[in-house]
Amino acid sequence: MRDRTTLFLIGVALALAGLAWWQGGPALVVAGLVDGGKTLLGVVPLLVAAFAIAGLIQTLVTRDLVTRWLGAGTGWRGIALACLGGALIPGGPYVYYPITAALLQAGAGLGVLVAFVTAKNLWSLSRLPLEMAILGPRLTLIRFGATLLLPPLLGLLAELLFGRFSERIREAMPI
Amino acid sequence: MIVATITLIALAAALWLYAWRRNDGSHRRGLQQGWQTLRRTMPLLLVAFAIVGYINVLSPQELVQAWLGPKSGWTGILLAEGVGLLLPGGPYVVFPLIAVLYQSGAGLGPTVTLVTSWATLALISVSFELSFMGWRFSAVRWGLGVLAPLTAGGVVHLLFGG
Repeated sequence: MRDRTTLFLIGVALALAGLAWWQGGPALVVAGLVDGGKTLLGVVPLLVAAFAIAGLIQTLVTRDLVTRWLGAGTGWRGIALACLGGALIPGGPYVYYPITAALLQAGAGLGVLVAFVTAKNLWSLSRLPLEMAILGPRLTLIRFGATLLLPPLLGLLAELLFGRFSERIREAMPI
Repeated sequence: MIVATITLIALAAALWLYAWRRNDGSHRRGLQQGWQTLRRTMPLLLVAFAIVGYINVLSPQELVQAWLGPKSGWTGILLAEGVGLLLPGGPYVVFPLIAVLYQSGAGLGPTVTLVTSWATLALISVSFELSFMGWRFSAVRWGLGVLAPLTAGGVVHLLFGG
């Protein structure tokens, strides 16, 4: 997936370079690269710190810890724990979806799993430093505040509306 | 930017100290892990920042302000949700792109919608979700989540006026 993303982005970059050439000739093509390079250099200290934080969280919070956490409660308590687990677990979709799938297989509630995935997507503690580094503290805090209630809320809604279909949802799993 | 740098360095130092005090080598492993991730994502970062540079020199301010600016209101928020779904790749690619849109004049509401939509609904991660969780789980989560970016951006729009 990473390769396809890279190729797609290279395509976008080339298209934009073409557009720059068309608008301002080779000078603008170079200017674009210089501008991008300067912006990147400006955020290097932040990026290094952000990646160090992500790496440290990744070693400190293990898969087992999160799995145990998610299996520990039901109802309100389960959803609260799921939100915390989602906030703490590092890594991309290839890390958290296998865990979510195993838990669904093992009989975890729908609300707990929806809360977990949504918290991972919106509260992720290993991603926040990067967001702060690139988008700035103000925008990050506003974004975080605006989405703070969504993980428990969506978990509860999923449980209330679709909780009784858990068995059928499990049947639709590919593995 | 200075505040962000200091906060992040302090946070990294605190985590490192905590890991070091555990005495199991996790302080070293953590940094190695971070370094490896950084190295692996370096090509993507370079391409992402080249895109950022081109968007900057092509200065699409008028275009961005018209479609996603503070005055674009709910249309801008809806459009931001659509764009967010399509954004490819991880945070190190997406955040620079969103930052450049914000600097080109996108409003606060649409920007929050953009981040939220990418984070919760991005089609590229849904393709992962489908292959692990099956279509019924994805349908429930996505169906409920579709309102999340609109709500988040809408609240910000109402509170901060754009």
